[in-house]
Amino acid sequence: QEFSCQIWGIFFLKKTFKGNLRNYWNFLPEGFINTQLFTRFLSRISQDSAGQFFSSGHTNNWAVLVCTSRFWFNYRHVANTLSVYRSVKRLGIPDSHIVLMLADDMACNHRNPKPATVFSHKNMELNVYGDDVEVDYRGYEVTVENFLRVLTGRLPPSTPRSKRLLSDDRSNILIYLTGHGGNGFLKFQDSEEISNVELADAFEQMWQKRRYNELLFIIDTCQGASMYERFYSPNLMALASSQVGEDSLSHQPDLAIGVHLMDRYTFYLLEFLEDIHPASKANMNDLFKVCPKSQCVSTPGHRTDLFLRDPGSVLITDFFGSVRKVEITTEAIDLTDPIKEVEERPANGDVHKEMHSYVDQLPVSEIIHQKPKQKDWHPPDGFILGLWTLILLVFFQTYGVKHLRHIF
Amino acid sequence: MSGLPGFLIDDRLHFPSCPSQGGQRFLVEMAAPLTLLLVLAVTIRAALFRSSLAELIAERVEVVSPITAWKRVVEGLALLDLGVSPYSGDVFHETPLIIYLFHFVVDYAEITFMLADVITAVALYMAVKDYNKQVFRKQKFALEADRYPLDCLELIRSPKEMYYIPLKVAMFYLLNPFTILSCVAKSTCGLNNAVVALFIFSTIKGNTLLSAIFLCLATYQSIYPLTLCAPAMLYLMQRQYIPVNFRRASFWWFIAQYLFMYLGSLFVLICLSFFLLGSWDYMPSVYGFILSVPDLTPNIGLFWYFFAEMFEHFRLFFLCVFQINVFFYTIPLSVKLKEHPVFLIFMQLAVISIFKSYPTVGDIALYMAFLPVWSHLYRFLRNTFLVSCVLLACSTLFPVLWHLWIYAGSANSNFYYAITLLFNVAQVGQPGRSQRRLLIESLTETPCSPLRKSQNEKSY
Repeated sequence: QEFSCQIWGIFFLKKTFKGNLRNYWNFLPEGFINTQLFTRFLSRISQDSAGQFFSSGHTNNWAVLVCTSRFWFNYRHVANTLSVYRSVKRLGIPDSHIVLMLADDMACNHRNPKPATVFSHKNMELNVYGDDVEVDYRGYEVTVENFLRVLTGRLPPSTPRSKRLLSDDRSNILIYLTGHGGNGFLKFQDSEEISNVELADAFEQMWQKRRYNELLFIIDTCQGASMYERFYSPNLMALASSQVGEDSLSHQPDLAIGVHLMDRYTFYLLEFLEDIHPASKANMNDLFKVCPKSQCVSTPGHRTDLFLRDPGSVLITDFFGSVRKVEITTEAIDLTDPIKEVEERPANGDVHKEMHSYVDQLPVSEIIHQKPKQKDWHPPDGFILGLWTLILLVFFQTYGVKHLRHIF
Repeated sequence: MSGLPGFLIDDRLHFPSCPSQGGQRFLVEMAAPLTLLLVLAVTIRAALFRSSLAELIAERVEVVSPITAWKRVVEGLALLDLGVSPYSGDVFHETPLIIYLFHFVVDYAEITFMLADVITAVALYMAVKDYNKQVFRKQKFALEADRYPLDCLELIRSPKEMYYIPLKVAMFYLLNPFTILSCVAKSTCGLNNAVVALFIFSTIKGNTLLSAIFLCLATYQSIYPLTLCAPAMLYLMQRQYIPVNFRRASFWWFIAQYLFMYLGSLFVLICLSFFLLGSWDYMPSVYGFILSVPDLTPNIGLFWYFFAEMFEHFRLFFLCVFQINVFFYTIPLSVKLKEHPVFLIFMQLAVISIFKSYPTVGDIALYMAFLPVWSHLYRFLRNTFLVSCVLLACSTLFPVLWHLWIYAGSANSNFYYAITLLFNVAQVGQPGRSQRRLLIESLTETPCSPLRKSQNEKSY
């Protein structure tokens, strides 16, 4: 993605600075770095003009919630994702706008002593796997490729709507990742990784395709801050549960279930979100304070330098909820414009009403009464005539013409 | 009801003049048993039609073939109703006249097939009756001409024996399990049998035109009855006292007449079939299918196994070999059996039903119906028990090995083909043996003695 960005930059240069091309070609080795800065400058120019465009706000909310690890002992990652799913849904984002990717099925796992439940608090206080959980990508469908395809929208035409991120340039997207990670990567399904560079390029592609207005990126893995280090697209805000070199730790095991139920960061995030309601005015600064080092043993981090607006002015519900901007007016709006009526004057002069009858689209009576199928084919008359003439000829030839006397 | 006993006068056998008016008497007297037989046969078939066995039997590959299956007829008619030619695709391989027939009677198909069986039985009955009359008359003349020596007494047929033969023939046809199966499966083989039976009847009656027309109909439906031309011509010539001699002009004139009638009606039928559907695509579908054997569904014939493993390079060659095999026996057999054309018909029918490309048990039933006609030879047949046991065992083993092969998976096609081969060998053995005895009997024209008889046995 960076390379293509640079090529784009070079072509842009070639187009606009044709006269000075020779000069720029001379500076090609260091010109690469120059073009990178130049493209960043160009994008910033577009951002300024875009910023005015975007200050009018978002119109719809999307959420992409991904749990990347499987196996029973990673119960907590599924519980993390489902808690965020629960909060997001509670605050108003509908299932059609949530892409939920769970790499393993904990609720119906054979080792789950409480089947069809995923608890986030010990002593089974809160079951985040309710009756209306809609998982869009499940099991082995949660792969790096699918995740990137969801983000960038490059899905095969047969993909159903529930598996697509159909965001536009006025969408605020919440992206939540959890699982096992390291410095610069996140592990998917214990078999592949996504790197921070890939993620950053995916977001850049989303930006170039105008697939988001503002994007909030939360990651709860070990060394999670490394994943947002490489972002370079505008309007991105990122939170992570731990810095580079630190491990995110799990919160509390439940002895009845036998595994750790949640990670610390998401646990306290869930506690924080439980206090948020759709009319809440809590802003991002409150979110940054979630889980201080005393509660999470790791240090949560955040990144707001790519974000245009001041985080203090960004509501939690801008990303976690789906709040419609409603303007209440007490004025009456006149909808009845004078409509020109075209009167039909029939030729004979009298106005008659057309009797509309219900179109008989389905021959129900025939189906009910099961009439036998009409035979559509008939032998041609010439054939019948010829055949029976021959038969009669043979008959009379055999038995003699004298029988005709007896017949007639 | 009493027969006419022969009695010995002066070391010569004398029979009282056999009443030729007895033919009608026979008919009147035999009408009741025949009707009873017909009623019984129809009852059995109707009972089987109503039972659940009908679908089971209709699927058996021994009873239906891709040409004769009723399922395909219904499919062809349905295609026609949808406006598509029934010969498109590999569905329907019957002639257009069958389409015409069943277009009107498809709802009464069961009655049609039962009627076909009844027609066959009645035609065979009357044909055999007429044949017996002629045989008896010939025998009488030969007797009066003192051409039979005394030792051939046991070969001479008495009217008492021959009285019941037509009924036996009808019975052999109607109550044969093969026929019943074929009828219940609604296989168009029944219609084919009816046409062949009518052909035999008209031939024995001596009607040249009808014989040619029915033979043409039989050939039109499946190509193989073409070989019945030769025995038909032989019989009609003998009946009209035309000597079978290549040098005689009357011989060729008669052949020309018969062939003209035969080919003319064949031409008329083919053109008529063209007019039914307005296209020639029935030709490759019917005749091309019979001759080129594209469908290798297992049946009781010999083609399928061989051609399943045949390389494409040699397929045409072996196809020609197999098809010629059916027609090949006509000329030698006609030369050998020119004095016995009806027996030749029987042999030809047997050859056709063994060697045709898609035989079914219905074809076998037709020639097996003729066995009582030569019942006077049975005493001299060897291995009767063996052959009949083999036939019975094979008929029972067909469905067993089919089940083992297709459903249980513990057998394979070799098992089924082995039984097919055995069945056909038994079939070949059976008329062959009768033929031996018939040839021996034919030599009774010349003085025969026990010594002579054994000599003749050796050379054959």
